[in-house]
Amino acid sequence: MQLKILKEIISLKNSKKEFSVITNLKTGKSYIFFIDKTLDEDIKNLEEQIKQSYLSRRDGMIKGSDLFVKNYHRPIKVVVIGAVHIAQFFVEYARHLNLDIYIIDPRGYFASDKRFPTANIINLWPKEAFQYCPLDDNTALIALTHDPKIDDPAIQEGLKQKCFYIGALGSKKTHENRCKRLMENGFNESQTQKIFGPIGIKFGGRSAPEIALSIIFQLMTEIYKQ
Amino acid sequence: MKNAFDEKILDEADQWLEQNKKVILATVVQTWGSSPRPTGSLMIVNDSGDFSGSVSGGCVEGEVVRQCLDLIQEEKKFKKIEFKVSNESAWNVGLACGGEIAIFLEKLEDAA
Repeated sequence: MQLKILKEIISLKNSKKEFSVITNLKTGKSYIFFIDKTLDEDIKNLEEQIKQSYLSRRDGMIKGSDLFVKNYHRPIKVVVIGAVHIAQFFVEYARHLNLDIYIIDPRGYFASDKRFPTANIINLWPKEAFQYCPLDDNTALIALTHDPKIDDPAIQEGLKQKCFYIGALGSKKTHENRCKRLMENGFNESQTQKIFGPIGIKFGGRSAPEIALSIIFQLMTEIYKQ
Repeated sequence: MKNAFDEKILDEADQWLEQNKKVILATVVQTWGSSPRPTGSLMIVNDSGDFSGSVSGGCVEGEVVRQCLDLIQEEKKFKKIEFKVSNESAWNVGLACGGEIAIFLEKLEDAA
């Protein structure tokens, strides 16, 4: 592979672009493929199959050719509400999962760079923060403040934008009350049922690192269900 | 939904290149049967024999490193190697799981 291509792949990955790298195993030549750009003349006849491979997100050989396709996709976005203790462990554990994590907390003493040296921190109320970090159906939302003032508006936005995963910290009782408040605000039961509350997979641990682990496990399970 | 689990292999390769090392990129391009690492898995090897990433569960990495070191010495820029079910004569280079994999080795360098 030419160094120019290597550098380009690294820079595209860093800017969270989606693309594929095509390698001709007979000639050793590499190409970079974008869904909205035309391919080089010499592999143009296989454009349809290359597109299919890209869309299926499956790496592999293009049937009946010498071309190998490796796909690069944008990491899944995870928005955490609350720069709390659990969030610190969440960021730490998720480091090797290549999730694109944003932490929102209007409380400056929580949302500090010192507490989160590697994360994207937004020191604003959720509503304002979502202007910089919009939610969509490819986003996971994790509410950890268990303060309705902060969590509720975020969860409401998460439900509206159909986040594929919404989890909220708090006991069963806290969650019941939260769902009641959401219904009072015009959300229905089928929507509130989509929220994972109490958040995380139950395995007995109650410390911050253990809860962080149980959230990651639940989130990853939901990612694979999609 | 699938997350783009990225092991930062290419970034590491770039760091090695900046240290003036010769680097080979190994990519799993095909698998048959059960194989521990999926198609698209990456591993890099440099001329000091360091390696990072994986192409199997540790079954064939040793042999891949050896093949990469050979390729560094050779004129050609790339080659494809295959591993099949392990047998007694090669207990340390086969796949104990019974799968088969094809790995593409390529030099990370500009054409001479």
